[in-house]
Amino acid sequence: MQLTVRDLSKAYGLRWALRDLNLDLVPGECVALLGPNGAGKTTLLKLLAGLIYPTRGDVRLNGAPFSRTSTELRSTIGFLTPGEHLYENLTARENLDFFTALYNKNHSSAAIVRALEEVELTDWSREYLSALSSGMKFRLSIAKWQLLEVGLLLLDEPYGVLDGSGINLMEAFLKSQCEKGNVVVIASHHISRVLQLCTRALILHQGKLTFDEPRRQPWDSFERAFADFLPHGGP
Amino acid sequence: MQTTVPKNRRGYLGALALILVIVGLYWGLIHAPPDAYQGNAQRIMYLHIPSILTAYLSFFLVFVGSCLYLWKREKRDDILAYSAAEIGVLFTALTIVEGSIWGKPTWGVWWTWDARLTLTAILLLIFVGYLMLRSLIEEESRAASAAAILGIIGFLDIPLIHMSVYWWRTLHQPPSILRPDKAPWDNIHPAMLTALAINFFAFVLLYFYLLSLRFRLGEMTEEIKTRRMDRGR
Amino acid sequence: MKLLRQTYLLLRKDLVLELRRRESLLTMFFFGTLLLFVFHFSFDLVPEKVTEMAPALLWLAFLFTGTLGLTQLFEAERTNHCLDALLLSPMDRGALFLAKTCFNIILMVAVEIVVVPLFWILFNLRSWEGVPLLLGVAFLGTIGFCVLGTLLSGVTLKARARELLLPLVLFPLMVPVILATIRCMEAILRNGNIGDAVPWLRLLLGFDVIFVTVGILIFDWAIDV
Repeated sequence: MQLTVRDLSKAYGLRWALRDLNLDLVPGECVALLGPNGAGKTTLLKLLAGLIYPTRGDVRLNGAPFSRTSTELRSTIGFLTPGEHLYENLTARENLDFFTALYNKNHSSAAIVRALEEVELTDWSREYLSALSSGMKFRLSIAKWQLLEVGLLLLDEPYGVLDGSGINLMEAFLKSQCEKGNVVVIASHHISRVLQLCTRALILHQGKLTFDEPRRQPWDSFERAFADFLPHGGP
Repeated sequence: MQTTVPKNRRGYLGALALILVIVGLYWGLIHAPPDAYQGNAQRIMYLHIPSILTAYLSFFLVFVGSCLYLWKREKRDDILAYSAAEIGVLFTALTIVEGSIWGKPTWGVWWTWDARLTLTAILLLIFVGYLMLRSLIEEESRAASAAAILGIIGFLDIPLIHMSVYWWRTLHQPPSILRPDKAPWDNIHPAMLTALAINFFAFVLLYFYLLSLRFRLGEMTEEIKTRRMDRGR
Repeated sequence: MKLLRQTYLLLRKDLVLELRRRESLLTMFFFGTLLLFVFHFSFDLVPEKVTEMAPALLWLAFLFTGTLGLTQLFEAERTNHCLDALLLSPMDRGALFLAKTCFNIILMVAVEIVVVPLFWILFNLRSWEGVPLLLGVAFLGTIGFCVLGTLLSGVTLKARARELLLPLVLFPLMVPVILATIRCMEAILRNGNIGDAVPWLRLLLGFDVIFVTVGILIFDWAIDV
């Protein structure tokens, strides 16, 4: 999975949310997307997912741009936001059945049961989604994307809803995704945790990419870039 | 500054339209003979028929703009579509008023649900719905796409609406000029036909003149918006 | 036949959700019945007038009930941004269009099957002869309504004053369906069969075919931006 972004810009009304972004992501990368609120992180993620279209510039996955008919392309993208993209009045199991069928994945019933086991939701498989806590819903999302076998996984603020075991579960899942050669992008405010996980960091500030480097120890350049927009100091 | 229709050409168009309108008004209101049955009240037809034809032309332009916009996503096509819709509202409303003015001496009432007036009223409603849809959607590109879809559906529906309303009112007004058995010039006085033709061209030119003005306004608004956004770099 | 498979999947999901909460179905059913009562008081319906006015009244009731269904059509997708989940997926947008159209048709037909006999009973109509044919014509009209309605429902999803805007743009475009359905229903009640209203039936069928095709092709642009 290769992701190429050229001169990406997105405007809402008269306001630019993103300006002239250039980015190249290669297989196996785990990228941290950082920045203050309103910097454009969610907008960027949605553009990468093909949920919204750019005002200028383009996004290409494996060389192909998004268009209305790019269904093949869409089957390789995952988007994880806590509390979203699952039906409240379907059971946990029904949600997984629905989405695996929609993505045309012919998983056996045993495979789905196994996926629920791995996220420790076996006892809740027949419960309506509305009965699950937000942490459990997120674990169900992890099970869902595990089953859908995507090549690019985009996460928007995952750390807020998870407890200790949930975090371990998610990080193990993300690590295995990168090992398979997939690309993971995590937008988060939990700098210390996400930096431990990722191989590269991007900082978005007022719609512009102000920092883009692979991780290394020590990382003075990052500390400086980060301190620039955080008035009270580093992570 | 790049403009689609340059200013001096617009000026010529406007002047020509004005001349033709004056000539047409003279020919229709003074020169042509009064109708055998309807007398002078019939003269409003010289305005009524061209303006309804122009209203339909307008919707055709909305359709063209909508198709082009969905295909190419160029702002200009969207501007064409909504400009045509706005001027179209004007001409459609004009048609209804003219029809009403004709109706009073002829039938004794200000309004009747005959096929022509009903169709014109429906056309007006569709135009108004189109413009309301545009204004009630916040994001520009979404509003343009939504309006384009409505423009296409509306245009495809118009022949069906036409058929259904005419069938429904088939007992009333048979078309007086376009009869299948006779040629148009057989049952109408030549001077009247000339008046009609002149007025038709006059209205079409007037329409395009107003359209070009509205279009230019739309282009300028876009230009201002782009400059303001670029300055906020 | 990916389109049909996905349509079936989406439709089944909507039906399961609807059967669990029954929000749309119940509100539509009660609204349709309520309208019958309102008509009775508004029009002072004596037996002689009822047969004449029945097609128009019924179709009016169905129109308003159907509009109620249309405004709630994408309700399931509103919570948790599930519409994004669908748009994100390799789903053919035409499938979403067909599924939502069929869903609204099913809801409206369920209401019609109850409201028509109810109308007959409440207004003491004598002959039940034409009722099945009547329901058949109503079905064709319902298809036309739901096809255009779903298209416009998708288009107005993010608009302000959506509940007002949707009828405003939909109703003028529905004129052929309204006229054709009522004329056919009148012919059925008068003669027991379609008879001289066949041209109207053809118009109705033509409308349905044209806009189902247009809908499948154009829904991409309606729901995406």
